[in-house]
Amino acid sequence: MNAAQHDNRPDKQISPDAEFAALDHILAGEDSLAPSSGFLDAVMERVREEAVAPKPIPFPWRRIAPGIALAAGVFGWGAYEFAPAMWLALRQLATGAHPAALASSVHALAPAGWTVLALVAALLAWLLSRRIAGESGLL
Amino acid sequence: MMAAPKIGMEEKAGPNAADPDLADVTRVLAGDVDAFAAIVRRWQSPLVNMAWRYCRDRGRAEELAQEALVRAWRGLAQWRRESSFSTWLFALAANVYRNDLKRSPTVSFPIEEIAEPSCPAGQHDQAAERERGETVRRAVLALPQRYREPVILFYFHEMDVSAAARTLHMPEGTLKARLARARQLLRRRFPRLKEWSAPPSAVTIRSEEEAVQ
Repeated sequence: MNAAQHDNRPDKQISPDAEFAALDHILAGEDSLAPSSGFLDAVMERVREEAVAPKPIPFPWRRIAPGIALAAGVFGWGAYEFAPAMWLALRQLATGAHPAALASSVHALAPAGWTVLALVAALLAWLLSRRIAGESGLL
Repeated sequence: MMAAPKIGMEEKAGPNAADPDLADVTRVLAGDVDAFAAIVRRWQSPLVNMAWRYCRDRGRAEELAQEALVRAWRGLAQWRRESSFSTWLFALAANVYRNDLKRSPTVSFPIEEIAEPSCPAGQHDQAAERERGETVRRAVLALPQRYREPVILFYFHEMDVSAAARTLHMPEGTLKARLARARQLLRRRFPRLKEWSAPPSAVTIRSEEEAVQ
């Protein structure tokens, strides 16, 4: 007696295998879909177009290198200047320094804070534009 | 012109005769763009059918399969001959389909919202079977992605666990576990699944243990 005959009995006792037999039958026994007649030509047309298309322009790493070096230098210098002031402010905060001394330290840090804020805003704007461009298929 | 690394054709002459994919890939990489047509002819049907199982939209399935073949053309040089061409091609296609469907999913409702077919238990007429089939296939598309893909590829590869695992670059054990979980979800969604017995013409069915272990 095969599985199907077993299932057709009125008082069938169904094993877990038989439960999934229906699922297997549905999902494995799907009809095959034939590609449309123009499919091959459409693919080959795209392939031939790409074959004759000029190579994509590589990213100009050499040109941009001085800019990257300059930016790294500016950031490095900023960190070098910022770190002692930050350290001083934290130490004063931890030791409960005079409010006036703390205020002067915080005041010294204010321009650096604005710079950091501007950089974060620029980063967020860049991420947002990339996301929008990605969703619209530009990237 | 797209850069195509040259492969010594004379070196590959032996194995090429036995493997038409390797022969055609070698010709394409040597600069014969038209040789790619033979690859498309050979694989268009499996790729369209695979895409159809991902999206159940004929037009979109053809677009996806076309995109997969164009990407395959671009990346032919990346096919390492360690795995078969079909393994590489299916893995690439699965990646294309997955990414595209992530951007614009075909099914936007949860599996819980799919109603169980109303056909009486044990009914075997064609309409009832078709309804059940469509409902179950829609439910598969509504599964969470981590379970959906193993189910699609397991049945696409005619219930061959290792082929599905290779396509997904996933250990067989992981695939089996996800497959078992997916089947549990489907069984929970369709409690009367056990009453839908398979007709005598059913494909050879492996036991749950064989498929899941």
